[in-house]
Amino acid sequence: MAANSLQTKVDRAVNTDKGFAHPLWAARADKLQSLSGVLLGLFLVMHLHFESSILFGKEAFYQVAQFLEGGIFSETGHGYPLVTKIFSCFMLLILLIHAVFALRRFPTQLGQWRALRNQMRFLPHEDTKIWFWQMITGFLLFFLVPTHLFTMITNPEIGPHLSAERVYHLNAWALYILLLPVVAVHAVFGLYRVVVKWGLVEQRFAMLKFAKVLLVYLMVLGVASLLTYIFIGRSLALPVVPYVSML
Amino acid sequence: MSQARTLTFSIFRYDPQESGDKPKMVTYSLTEAPGMTVFIALNQLRETQDPSLQFDFVCRAGICGSCAMVINGFPTLACRTLTANYPDGHIKLMPLPGFDLIGDLSVNTGKFMRELSERLSLWLHPNSADNDIHRIEAPMSPEEATKLYELERCVECGVCVSACATKQMRDTFVGAVGMMKIARFELDSRDTRTADDFYHVIGNQDGVFGCMTLLGCQDTCPKDLPHMQQIAYLRRKMASV
Ligand code: SF4
Ligand code: FES
Repeated sequence: MAANSLQTKVDRAVNTDKGFAHPLWAARADKLQSLSGVLLGLFLVMHLHFESSILFGKEAFYQVAQFLEGGIFSETGHGYPLVTKIFSCFMLLILLIHAVFALRRFPTQLGQWRALRNQMRFLPHEDTKIWFWQMITGFLLFFLVPTHLFTMITNPEIGPHLSAERVYHLNAWALYILLLPVVAVHAVFGLYRVVVKWGLVEQRFAMLKFAKVLLVYLMVLGVASLLTYIFIGRSLALPVVPYVSML
Repeated sequence: MSQARTLTFSIFRYDPQESGDKPKMVTYSLTEAPGMTVFIALNQLRETQDPSLQFDFVCRAGICGSCAMVINGFPTLACRTLTANYPDGHIKLMPLPGFDLIGDLSVNTGKFMRELSERLSLWLHPNSADNDIHRIEAPMSPEEATKLYELERCVECGVCVSACATKQMRDTFVGAVGMMKIARFELDSRDTRTADDFYHVIGNQDGVFGCMTLLGCQDTCPKDLPHMQQIAYLRRKMASV
């Protein structure tokens, strides 16, 4: 029958298209990119809050750090820096997964890059611009985050004095001042995009506004903490002795 | 009564058929009339100043989708755009990017839509075994019909395609209009294709998983179709296949 043979022809045409060499991976890649991104983004929000405990004084930060290093499981109440080491390795792994799947979004050819820049010039559009900056920050993070993680893996001591030493005397502030805005922009708008992308929230503009407020808040929090470490670092005499709890 | 304004149009001119012609911007002046649309202005320009000016229109009522162009950096329908929207009276017109240029402001969206339709099989696939034409059709629920009508409103103007940076970067990407139409058949109870069948067509980098959610489509579609929700719906659906 004519209708039936047309149907089989169409089916054949559809099923032999070369575009879906790895059809299952297309879905998986998208899910893994979003999932790893959400993990990294939420981790960043917590990370910035934990380290900002220095704003409440050295004792507060000391307690938070000891607690996160698993202090409650040790007899002395001191945490294990090894926890930081292991956790940093774990985050590095998540980061790699995220990077691998996010890389397929990068314009790989000069022609694609030009098309993107042209499009942005002729048709200015906010979300496209936001994505563009997310791509740029993503590229930078590819270098900045591993640098940060490697220092935490090789030198995992965290404490009000030891961290301040790292920031001020070992010049980590130079890395952090770059890393903070780049990672905050990438994470906040990344979380926004995931939510919109999978249709978890319908009020997109409210979400976008929230993302911008969150970005400003995280920046203020981050800068304030960084300044505090710099001030503490300046007040410390070398060689730095670890902080001793007053409790 | 206040004096009528003089509008300045800066229009992209290029005829690919004419050998030696180079793309250029040409400036025209026109006195604004009450309720004037860009479409009316273009017709006046063609009648009174330059008969060679090429642009498309059919319905002048936002129904045929022929008159889409980029107006001051925003792709939309010329017949639905009032010149009064531009307080400084400067209007820059460019053809929609991403389509074959016929000449000046006229692009071949028809060719694109036809190829898309063939590529994604954008027509109803009813149960082909059931071809008894004397049988009475099963009625469709009003709720379903409303949902389908909502998505059927697409006028194939091509605006969503031109507003999509993903599409501009990757030519093989199906774009919002393709996904919108797939969603329409996916929702149709008469269509026998399963989620699996649709996965074969759009479950890839050129389909729903290639979309980076830049939402140019959502922000420009002159028919206000729910691109964001539909693409998210398809993505969830396809990700669970
Ligand atoms: S979905 Fe909207 S913008 Fe896209 S072709 Fe249809 S009417 Fe035009
Ligand atoms: S002329 Fe038909 S939509 Fe503008």
